[in-house]
Amino acid sequence: MNRVTGAIKALYTFLSGDAIILTAALIAFALGLVLLQILHAPNTLAAVAFVAIIVAGLVMTLRREIAGRPRARS
Amino acid sequence: MSILNGPLASVVIAAFLASTVEFVEAFTIVLVVGVTINWKSSLAGTAAAALALVALVGVFGTALVLLVPIAALRFAVGLLLILFGLKWLKKAILRYAGVKAMHDEEAIYEEEMAAMRARGERPSARLDPFGVATAFKSVLLEGLEVAFIVITFGSAATGAGSRATGITWAAAGAGAALLVVLSLGALVRAPLQRVPENALKFVVGIMLTSFGTFWGGEGLGIHWPGEDLFLLALVAFYLALAVALVAWLRPWGRPQVTLASAERTAAHAIEEAH
Repeated sequence: MNRVTGAIKALYTFLSGDAIILTAALIAFALGLVLLQILHAPNTLAAVAFVAIIVAGLVMTLRREIAGRPRARS
Repeated sequence: MSILNGPLASVVIAAFLASTVEFVEAFTIVLVVGVTINWKSSLAGTAAAALALVALVGVFGTALVLLVPIAALRFAVGLLLILFGLKWLKKAILRYAGVKAMHDEEAIYEEEMAAMRARGERPSARLDPFGVATAFKSVLLEGLEVAFIVITFGSAATGAGSRATGITWAAAGAGAALLVVLSLGALVRAPLQRVPENALKFVVGIMLTSFGTFWGGEGLGIHWPGEDLFLLALVAFYLALAVALVAWLRPWGRPQVTLASAERTAAHAIEEAH
């Protein structure tokens, strides 16, 4: 691993270390910008979409953690 | 004769109340970083942010309001806090659901201290980049907001004499707010130190995600209902969500085995094997 790759990896680990969380946060901010600054969508719609994508990111990364695991308890 | 006339008194009170909200927000982050990571990192981040603030105010003065893009700053800080917050919250949820092993903090702490003593290190000598960065950006953002409050409220008090007088009294209001928040913080610090680390990390994950959502949303241009009070609604929302996620994941969790006890068992097994 060269220095540049190492630095990028260290930055990624420092910032989130989780591709799903990073992607969800970036999508939430990008969509928020598009909705509010370009499409001039209503404030409530933008707020709900922004929070929903953050929540979706959290749920998806947790789903990945249990993927393939047997249910230990009912 | 009263020192403060009507308009000046209203400037002091308005600056005090608005600054209190901002100082509480910054202090919450400084406090949780101090308690969960270490005070050296938390105070280093705070000191660096205070120096940056002094430099910014010293260089730009009242023109700061025009030159610093506060929306862009909220956007960047919000994004980083959401990333940090979700990372912590994810780990805390997995631990509480039993999917990941719980930390036995006391045992781990003792082991780490013993290892550090053996290496001749002092625990307080370690600066944690995450802790420093989190405290730094929170204090910088909130400090800038306080500077904006002082400058705008002070400048608006045109009926109170000169602009400089208004700004001086607004700064006095903000200073009083800082003293109140620091005094209250000193009172809650000791009880917080006794809260288990896992519980604190769970709360910190929720707080960072809530603050990140709030500031990031403001940076995007979202107007939260009730303004800063909406932070409490976000905290309640993320707390309810986290509790629901723990309940959802629990069927996949193992019976709880602490990390330290697992390590002790593993070490014992290795010794036996030799």
